[in-house]
Order: sequence, then structure tokens, then C-alpha cells
Amino acid sequence: MNVVFAVKQYISKMIEDSGPGMKVLLMDKETTGIVSMVYTQSEILQKEVYLFERIDSQNREIMKHLKAICFLRPTKENVDYLIQELRRPKYSIYFIYFSNVISKSDVKSLAEADEQEVVAEVQEFYGDYIAVNPHLFSLNILGCCQGRNWDPVQLSRTTQGLTALLLSLKKCPMIRYQLSSEAAKRLAECVKQVITKEYELFEFRRTEVPPLLLILDRCDDAITPLLNQWTYQAMVHELLGINNNRIDLSRVPGISKDLREVVLSAENDEFYANNMHLNFAEIGSNIKNLMEDFQKKKPKEQQKLESIADMKAFVENYPQFKKMSGTVSKHVTVVGELSRLVSERNLLEVSEVEQELACQNDHSSALQNVKRLLQNPRVTEFDAARLVMLYALHYERHSSNSLPGLMMDLRNKGVSEKYRKLVSAVIEYGGKRVRGSDLFSPKDAVAITKQFLKGLKGVENVYTQHQPFLHETLDHLIKGKLKENLYPYLGPSTLRDSCFSSQILLVLHMSKLDLNSSIKPKVLFLLEYRNRCFGALQILVSCP
Amino acid sequence: MWEPQELGAMRSHLSDFKKHRAARIDHYVVEVNKLIIRLEKLTAFDRTNTESAKIRAIEKSVVPWVNDQDVPFCPDCGNKFSIRNRRHHCRLCGSIMCKKCMELISLPLANKLTSASKDSLSTHTSPSQSPNSVHGSRRGSISSVSSVSSVLDEKDDDRIRCCTHCKDTLLKREQQIDEKEHTPDIVKLYEKLRLCMEKVDQKAPEYIKMAASLNAGETTYSLEHASDLRVEVQKVYELIDALSKKILTLDLKQDPPPHPNTLRLQRMIRYSATLFVQEKLLGLMSLPTKEQFEELKKKRKQEIERKRILERQAALESQRRLEERRSDLASRATNGEVVPPRRGPAPLRKAEGWLPLSEGQRQSEDPDPLLQQIHNITSFIRQAKAADRTDEVLMLQENLRQLQDEYDQQQTEKAIELSRRQAEEEDLQREQLQVLREREWEREQGQAASLHTRTRSLDFREIRPFQLEPGREPRTHLAHALDLGSSPAQSSTATKTSPPSLAPEPFRGWSGSPALGQEFLPQSTPSQRSEAPSLNPFDEEEDLASPSAEGTASPPAPEPSLGPPARLLREYNPFEEEEEEEAVAGNPFARPDSPAPNPFDEEDEPPPRTPASLPVPGNPFEEAPCTNPFEEDSDGGQEGAEPIEEELLLQQIDNIKAYIFDAKQCGRLDEVEVLTENLRELKRTLAKQKGGSD
Repeated sequence: MNVVFAVKQYISKMIEDSGPGMKVLLMDKETTGIVSMVYTQSEILQKEVYLFERIDSQNREIMKHLKAICFLRPTKENVDYLIQELRRPKYSIYFIYFSNVISKSDVKSLAEADEQEVVAEVQEFYGDYIAVNPHLFSLNILGCCQGRNWDPVQLSRTTQGLTALLLSLKKCPMIRYQLSSEAAKRLAECVKQVITKEYELFEFRRTEVPPLLLILDRCDDAITPLLNQWTYQAMVHELLGINNNRIDLSRVPGISKDLREVVLSAENDEFYANNMHLNFAEIGSNIKNLMEDFQKKKPKEQQKLESIADMKAFVENYPQFKKMSGTVSKHVTVVGELSRLVSERNLLEVSEVEQELACQNDHSSALQNVKRLLQNPRVTEFDAARLVMLYALHYERHSSNSLPGLMMDLRNKGVSEKYRKLVSAVIEYGGKRVRGSDLFSPKDAVAITKQFLKGLKGVENVYTQHQPFLHETLDHLIKGKLKENLYPYLGPSTLRDSCFSSQILLVLHMSKLDLNSSIKPKVLFLLEYRNRCFGALQILVSCP
Repeated sequence: MWEPQELGAMRSHLSDFKKHRAARIDHYVVEVNKLIIRLEKLTAFDRTNTESAKIRAIEKSVVPWVNDQDVPFCPDCGNKFSIRNRRHHCRLCGSIMCKKCMELISLPLANKLTSASKDSLSTHTSPSQSPNSVHGSRRGSISSVSSVSSVLDEKDDDRIRCCTHCKDTLLKREQQIDEKEHTPDIVKLYEKLRLCMEKVDQKAPEYIKMAASLNAGETTYSLEHASDLRVEVQKVYELIDALSKKILTLDLKQDPPPHPNTLRLQRMIRYSATLFVQEKLLGLMSLPTKEQFEELKKKRKQEIERKRILERQAALESQRRLEERRSDLASRATNGEVVPPRRGPAPLRKAEGWLPLSEGQRQSEDPDPLLQQIHNITSFIRQAKAADRTDEVLMLQENLRQLQDEYDQQQTEKAIELSRRQAEEEDLQREQLQVLREREWEREQGQAASLHTRTRSLDFREIRPFQLEPGREPRTHLAHALDLGSSPAQSSTATKTSPPSLAPEPFRGWSGSPALGQEFLPQSTPSQRSEAPSLNPFDEEEDLASPSAEGTASPPAPEPSLGPPARLLREYNPFEEEEEEEAVAGNPFARPDSPAPNPFDEEDEPPPRTPASLPVPGNPFEEAPCTNPFEEDSDGGQEGAEPIEEELLLQQIDNIKAYIFDAKQCGRLDEVEVLTENLRELKRTLAKQKGGSD
């Protein structure tokens, strides 16, 4: 279940089916993002696709010598644009692919617009989501809920995205959801509805144990997204921000022109692929090795290439060298910037206190540490607010809760209203009242023993003590011990807990906290966990 | 990591779409076809030579004319018809209009429409074959309207009257035809470009395979053919470059300038062509020069040789072990010797049963059938290449390789077989001989100890396997150790007989290891060895006396002609047999132009001894104006080597130019500088070389 591959296969198929000749790819805003995540420009150029156009762009010239491949979401606007396009065709022939189910009436109105008979293909290819990593997809939705309920528009988009995902992977799953979340239940129902309605599409070869779609709501564990993470990928997301694999580095002081915007994609960058899940310290030493390797290969400028053999060697190594020099300068810049931000924002100290807040139960020490950091001028207002949020979540019902005092400190520090409001929003979203299970004090004997043992052994790395709650959930799921009263099946299910499904689609639904941009990397972070612990694959949908 | 994943689900709406479209479009198509058919009927006869009345009759038969009385006003402009404003009928639909609203269709246009429709009518419903549009440039037909002349002339010799509606429909049709026939320049160039790319995709792998094979020293392909192919491929690259540049600059100076999208398209095509060239051209490995190739060939032979020796050693080793066991048995029970010796080494034989004894014998009379087959296939390959049938060539080459492997193996088998038989025969004598030999060996050691300690220690290790050829062993060994100038005449003639590539026998016993080579002494000629088939160690001793004395007392001073071949040293091979005679003949190192892997040992090589076969300047140890050993070679044999060297230089210059271009495009100035420096260096070298050769 590789989502990047799934989408890429769709795109390749489209291009292949259009035959030889110069081609233009006609897309809308969303499909542009979808395509750009799986194909690089040079890759797609080799398939004779030379132009990329937006269907809504008015400034398109008539080019009858081009074939048009249209990859569009089946929205009303797109259908209208397409009708206009077909009435006055700009290209010789059109291959039309919709990224999701399109209604029969839309097909009819398109057909009636095609008076010149330029359409050669009309198909549904379900690449209706952005494939971030092989096991992660996103729908790039910001703020999908109103209060604790779905925004209807986003609910339908999320449903479309999920069903497209299932279709592109050819899975027809059983669905479970988190009982404590109304939103998770709604989404589960919507997906089920589509599966029932389009039952013909979902007729795949049955596996012995059907795959499972588990829909979770982030409100069960509001802690994880608030912590600073220390893996390469998570840090890039958190500290620099990455959008469709592109990092904007223009704010970095003294950045050179070529490096204003860099592309970081595990598909094409070996170093990144190998290091994205390693922690920051390891990245440092790996970068050093990369540099040394590079130095060795670098042709010495002074050294004259005296013989033909020397020259030949130089010429043969040159392209490799060039490629390497690009990679090296990119990663050195990115890691350099990360480390600058870490020290500028005092993140090591902040992270230590965050971990203490998340993993330990010593109220007075935690409070003291938070207060101390709030006085530190280098701690940004955002980090300060996050510390208070963590405190508020953990010690919400503590007898000597001193949240008001901390709120005062925040105000004194000059933290803006926007961030201070987040504290109460977090409580409302992920507070004790909402949570279906207990985050901080384990109840069953096994868990208590585990925690006790952990305390005895000491902590390996103070910055990565915290284990996401999802860890436990998945553990139970894999072992078939996930409680049905907390995570019920949708509709009757013939198969019950006893069987273990190797194919798990996990959907993490996130909502209001997405006000702050830092939540996305947390979802990514969870994937690491997959690599270490499971052979099973989960796909997270994040809707930040 | 990933389970195989099939293409995701998909659903086609095409049939639905076509159904709706067909319903909508049918009437239009029918209309057009009707008009075209009528037009055809109207133009089917010779208008100029037919009288007006008859024409009118025909025209009326094509389509019924609307009655004059039914139409008092022109339906298009609304003017009333009168004597002055007369009615006109459309010949295509029969309707009536006034003169102002009347259109005319010239005969050429009519012909164009009817002839084009003949072949496209059948394919009308398929959109991919008849792309059409109303938005092209309107050209051609306007002129026919302006050529309306004599108003009152009722007879239309070369035009057909029609209404505006029919004319419009026909004009649309004409545009479709035009668009179908008209290909813009960019498309033409682009098609050429793609053709070139396809050619590269087809030729480059072929070349790479050749170059890899040549670089590995194989002789499956010829060097000339490969370099021809390289030149060919490079020419295609140049063409790609030129074509894409042309596309890039297409219409650039036109007024008004082309649409930005057109420019973008042109840029992208150029960019992708550059990418293509970069990726593929850099993958083209260079070919070895002639000298290098010889070198490589030799290396490969050594490699094969070494492998074979190892195999044989292993076989004999196990044979020996078996025999030891057998002699143990023999000491206990006399009938232990019955144990067939063949069973022991059997697992080591790769192709059991391949080598019946009779074949081995036959082979000594007429050439090996395998060899014949190899020859045949080589000539087939040549023919197929001439006929340009690449796939067949590939198949044949594969075949050839297999045959060659088979042959090699066969030789090995034969050797093992032979030695085994010998071992059996001599089995009984062995023990006694062993004693004798050892005694003799000790003596010999004493003689040579001062000079050849290292050789000795090596040989000592090998002494065990030698047991199989007890009679011969000490003799050859001694020869190896001491016999410096033995039978020079023979060895020199042997080297002249055949070039290595033709020699059918694989060479045995060659060691390319320079460390050993230094201490090695000239091999003894095999004929010497074979002249004493049942050697007695005591006989040998006598034989040895003179050469050894000669060898130790005076360093060899044979005639010049003997020089290199005699000095081409061979590691002593304990398992040598009669075949060796041939092996010597084909010894690759008998060639004078092979400096690298054969380090001539200093003491043994006084230049005066070698004038005939190895020119003095060719000695890599003496003059080293340049670090490239192959350049020196070319100095030695100027004529042949020079052009290739130049070619290589030119190639490099080309490559570097490409890099400079690339680096400039990406704005990496420091790299440009380094590269330019290289380029200058190369050009200087080239100039120097040219000057030198003139």
C-alpha cells in the first residue's frame, strides 16, 4: 500500500494512453499539487509532456499540435470550464480524467459540448489526495471543523479523499471509529455510504481478513502535537515548514539565490530518504560524513589534470559530482538553519520541560520549570503558549492548579491574545471531559508495571521520552485487543477482534488545534513509529 | 519493501459520453455529408462545354428548387424580390436568396471538398482521426467571392451558386481539411527530433554492450565496429542538439512575437532534449585504444587461465587425496587399489560426460567440432551485422559466448582427464619415485639456493600436486628454475607462428602477478620436456647439468630475436601437458606491445638484447614524458596508434565542451573556469601531438 506509487501509476497511465506526440497537462489547482508530489518536472518531460496549464487560466493559446491530458477534480467549476474548453477546443484532442466519481449528468453535458468531437477518453482515476510519503497522504485542508462538528464542505471533501484512497489501493475495508468523537463517527458513516452506493467500484478480490479502516480523532491525545520533535523530517516540518515537498528558505539570513526554495523529497533525494527518521544528533554526524565524502570527490582546483586518464576520470565523475554538490549544499543549509533556530529559540531546554510535562507527574517541579522558561526572553511566544497548554492539559484537575498564574505570566511576557486563547481552546478540545481514555495515569496493571520499570531504567534521551498515545492504540489493534466499546465497528461485522488484519488504514482526524501550523509534523512523526514497530501499514490523513 | 501493487481502480465513461455526443452530432454530420454529395454531383460533369439549359436541368435534379412564388422576400436580408432584385436558387439546398446574399463556390474548392471527403467520410465518427475546429485562420475561399464578375451572366462556368448557410458549413469543412493537412514547422522538427531520440535509444545500449565487452577484453566484437557505432551515435546527438536548438529559436524574430506559451513549449522541448543528451551521452563509456584493447585481451586471458589452473589444481588436489587414501588402503588390503579413481574428482567436473576419450583423440587429427562451430558462428555474426539484423546478432553473440565457455570447459576437462589417466598408470611407481625425486630435489636445491630462494619456496609448496607427473616434474621444475637460455630458436619460432587471437588452445600456467614475475626465469620449451616421455629422474640429471651450469654461470645472452618472447615469464605450472606446445605458440605476451602487466625485471633486460622486437623507446621504465603508459606505446609504434589517440582527445574535448555549456547555463562560474582550463590543456596536448606526428 504505497500511496505515492498509486498516484504515480495513475498519472503514468494517463500519459501512456495518450500516445506519442507533444502533450499539455491541463489541471486545476488541487490536481496540480497532486501531480507535483509524485512526478518531477524532468521525469514528466521525458514522457513528452511539455506544458502544464491550469484549466481556469484564460491566457491559453490555441495549439492544435498538442494533445491535452486533463486531470481534474469533478467539481462544478471544473465541469463548466471544461464545457467552455470543448466548445472552442484549443488542442487537437482531449483525454479527460476525473480524480473522483463524476455524475452521469455532468458526463452528458460534457458530451453535448463536444461538437467538434475532440474528446477521446473520459475516465475516473482515483488520485484524489496528496501523497506525501509512501504511507502518508494529506488533503491539505485547513480547519475542517466548526466547533466540534464537521464543516459540511470539508466533510464531503474528506469523504471523497478517503474513498479515492481506498479505490486507488483497491481496498474495501471494515470500518471502526473512535466512539468518543462525534466527528469520527460522521466521517465513518459517510465513507460507508459511498462504499454502499458505489458498490460496483468496490468489488475487489476478497482477502481472507478484510482490511480495516480505523478512524481516530486527535482529541484523545492533544499532547503529542504540542511537543517539539527531533527527527529530521519532523523538524523540517515544524521549524521551517514544508509545502508539497518545497521548503521556503528565503527568510534564512544570508541565503544564496539558488537556495531560496529547496525541494526535499524522499523519492528523489537519497540522503533525505535515509535520514528523515533519524534524530537531530545523528543527522549532524551524517551530514559531516556526506561533506567528507564530497570533499574527497571534489576535483581540486589547483591540481592540474595532467594526463588524459586524469581528465577522463574527471569528466566521467563530473555529473555525479555536480549532483552531489547540489545535495550537499542543500542539506548543509537546511540543517544549519535548523540548528540556528534550535539555539535561537532555546528549543533544547524547552523540549526538556515539555517532555517532563508530558511524561512525569511531579507538579511542583513542572510548574517551577514552566515559570522559569516563561521568564526567558529567548523562548518565543508560541513556545511559551505551548508550554502552558501542556501544563493545562496535564494538571487540569490538579488540586493546586495554578493556570491563572501562568496565564498572567504569559500576558506579562507579551504573548498575544491569539496564542493565549489557544490555551482554553485546547482544554475544550482535548481536556479530560472529552478524552475517551486517560492519557496521563495508566489504569491497568500491565501499564502501571511498564511505567514503573521505565522509571527504574532511567531515561535514554530526555528529549524523546514521550510515547504518543497512538502507540498504545495501535499496539492493542495489532494484538486484536482494541476494545470494541471504545472503538466500535460500523454496521454489523462478521469478523471480530480475534482476527488480526495485516492491512490497516488508519485515519487520524484532527480538528481545532489545527489553528497552529505545528500539528502536521506530529502526524508525520507517528509514522516513524510504524517503521519501527509494525509490518502493517497505516495511512494517516491529516487535515491541517 | 512494498508488496506488488496493481494499478488502482478506474472507471470509464467513454461509451456513455459517446452515446450522448453521437445523438447531438449526428444531424450536423448528416448535413455536411448531404452537401458534399450534392456538390459532387454538381461538379461531376463538364460545365464549360454544356449548355445552360442542360446545366440547369441537372442542377434541378440534384435538389428540388423552392418555388419562386413561395418566397416574396429574401430570407436573409428581407428585401423584396422584383424585376431588378431577382431570385437566385442555392444549388445545394434549393432555397432562394437575393443576389447580395448569394455566395459562390469555385470549382477548385468544390473539388478539394469532395475529394477530401471521399477518404474521411468513413471515419467521421472517430474524433481522433478527424480533429476539427472553426477557429483556424480563414483563408482561401474569400477570393472566390471577390471574383464575382458579370452580374447578369446566368451561366456559371466555374462556380456554383449557393446560400450563405451552405457556404458556411462547407467553409468549416474546408478548415478541418486544412488543419488536418497542415503541420506547423515545430511539429515537423519535433518529429525529426523524436526519431533521433529513438535511434539513440536503440543504438546506445548496443554500443554500451560492445564497449563493456571490449573493455573487459573480450573479442566478441571488433573494435573498429564499435568505434564506428560510437561515431554514429555521437552524430545523432549532434543532430538532436541542432534540432532542439532550431525548435528553441523557431519564429523568435517573427512579428508579432509568438504567444508566451509557444515560447515556453519551445524552451521545454529544448530543455528535455538537453536532459536527454546529458543523461545518455554521459552514459556512453569510452572505448579502449588499440593498445589498451590488446592489453585487456591479455588480461582476460590470464584471468581465464588462472581460473582454469585453480580448477585443475582443485581437481588434482582431490585426486591426490583420494590416492593417498587409496595407498593407505593398499597398505592394509591389497585389493584396495581396485577403487576406481574417477569417482573421487567427479564432483568437480562441471560437465560430466562431455568428454569421451574418442573425441579427445579425434581432436588431435582434425579440428575440434566446437572450434569449427565457433568459427561458423563468428562468420554468421559478421553476415548478420552486414545485413543489419541486430536481434540476430545478439542471439548469435550469446550463442558464441556459450560456445566459447563450453570450449574452455572442455579443455579443462580434457586436461583433468589426461592427468588422471596418467596418474593411474603411474600409480604403482609412485612411491619409489617419490623417494628418488626427493633425494634429487634436495640436490637441486643446493645448487640453486643462492639465486632462487623465493621461487623455490613457492615451488616447494606445490610439490605435492606434482606427484602426478613424477617423471616430468623435476625436469620441468629445474628447467624453470635454472634453464635460462634453453632452446631459444624454438621459442622464437613458436611465437611467430600465430597471433594470440587465433590460437585455439587456451594458455596454461600464465601468471600475471608482477611480484612473481620478477623472479621468474624463462620457461623451458615444452618440446624439450616432451622428448622424454617416460622420464627418469636420473636421466634428467644429466640433462640438467649443462643448462644449469650455463644458467648460473653466465646470464643469458641469446640472439636478439629471442629477447622478449623468451623472457616472457611464466609461472611454473605443475600440470602442464603436451598441449603446452600450442600454448606457447599463442602466448599473448609474446607480443612486443604489452608493457603493463609484464614488468620486465631490471636485471634481465639489458636493452641491447631486444632491439629487434621491442623498440627501445617503448620501454616504459626508461622514458616517461607523460604518465599515460599508452602514450608511450604509441610513440613506439607511431603510425598505428596516433589517430586513435587523437580521436580520444577529440572526444574528451567534446565532452568538456558540453560540460562547460551546462555549467554556464546553471551559472556556476567557478566550474566553468576549471573546465575551461581543462579544455585548454586538452587542446594544447592535441596540438602538441599533431606537431609531433608531422
